[in-house]
Amino acid sequence: MINNLVFVILVFVSSYAIYVKRNLIKIVIGLSIFEAGVFYWVISTNDKGGKLPFYQVTRKGLDMVDAIPQALTLTGIVIGASTTALLLTFIIELDKFTGTHNLDNLKGLDD
Amino acid sequence: MKKPFIISILVLFSLFLFLNLQILPEEQFIENNASVFYRNNGLEKTNSLNLVTAILYDFRAFDSLGESTVIFAAVSGIVLVLSRKTLAVSSHGLSFIVKRTFAILTPFIFLFSIYVITHGHLSPGGGFQGGVILASISIIFIIIYGSAFDYKMVSPNTKTVLETGGALTFLIIGFLGLMIEGVFLSNISILNKGVGSLFSAGSIPIVNIGIGLKVGAGLAIIFYSMIQKTLERSWMNNDK
Repeated sequence: MINNLVFVILVFVSSYAIYVKRNLIKIVIGLSIFEAGVFYWVISTNDKGGKLPFYQVTRKGLDMVDAIPQALTLTGIVIGASTTALLLTFIIELDKFTGTHNLDNLKGLDD
Repeated sequence: MKKPFIISILVLFSLFLFLNLQILPEEQFIENNASVFYRNNGLEKTNSLNLVTAILYDFRAFDSLGESTVIFAAVSGIVLVLSRKTLAVSSHGLSFIVKRTFAILTPFIFLFSIYVITHGHLSPGGGFQGGVILASISIIFIIIYGSAFDYKMVSPNTKTVLETGGALTFLIIGFLGLMIEGVFLSNISILNKGVGSLFSAGSIPIVNIGIGLKVGAGLAIIFYSMIQKTLERSWMNNDK
């Protein structure tokens, strides 16, 4: 219930940033918020109140939390970081060539 | 005006999404599904105390290989776009007090990153997390001591060698698993002895070290390329 609500709010905020804002940096921020929302939802829906996913030598660990969402989220965080860096790189180059990183002021390259 | 139209569509979409998420079935239990299988057999099959690491580098190691390929592609793209010059433009760094403080702190950060990388199968952490801490050392060099210092300490060539070396370590371990065990990226059972010591969980610690070097060097290259370009521009603006 509450995690679905938080996820939907994050999706709304990030979609607003992506579709309405014209500043490219803000669009990238929106994509990052979207990622964070998805990761939060994946982790929180699978949290059934178990223990940390660690074996101890004496314990077989039958009461531990599901570890697959954590592994998938770890994968997703790293990929999100690298794609964000790539997007910011393109924005840096665009700003260098055209002098703006706003979609409204963007009128193609100078000859 | 387009804005209210977009916002109303977004509100409708969010409401729809929320209602759909609410009627998701609460718990679908399938007999012996993947998570139950990993939980019951993770310790016996991998000897890794950390189940997340066991999943990442043993059960789903092929997934991690693809992930490291994504990082490699991103770093290649960034370097291709940004650094046409190999010239190191220096910032001047911060004040003397900050420099002295971080001269004391940086070895401990380095030690902590090594700890997180090598103990990935025993405690929270692993290659990705420790690699990010490792990259923070290069970022500290650039911000606090200036990028010329970073160029001198860890040159871009060294970072490139480290990154490709990490990726190659992963691949070599994968092919060793293919040769010895018959399955690509399989855990090598000769190394897989004992539980709970530093060299215990087969090829997992080696893959962890490779991934740690790869992620650390990759993020350091990304930051170095970006800061180099930005510094160049701010210097040009100061000249005008």
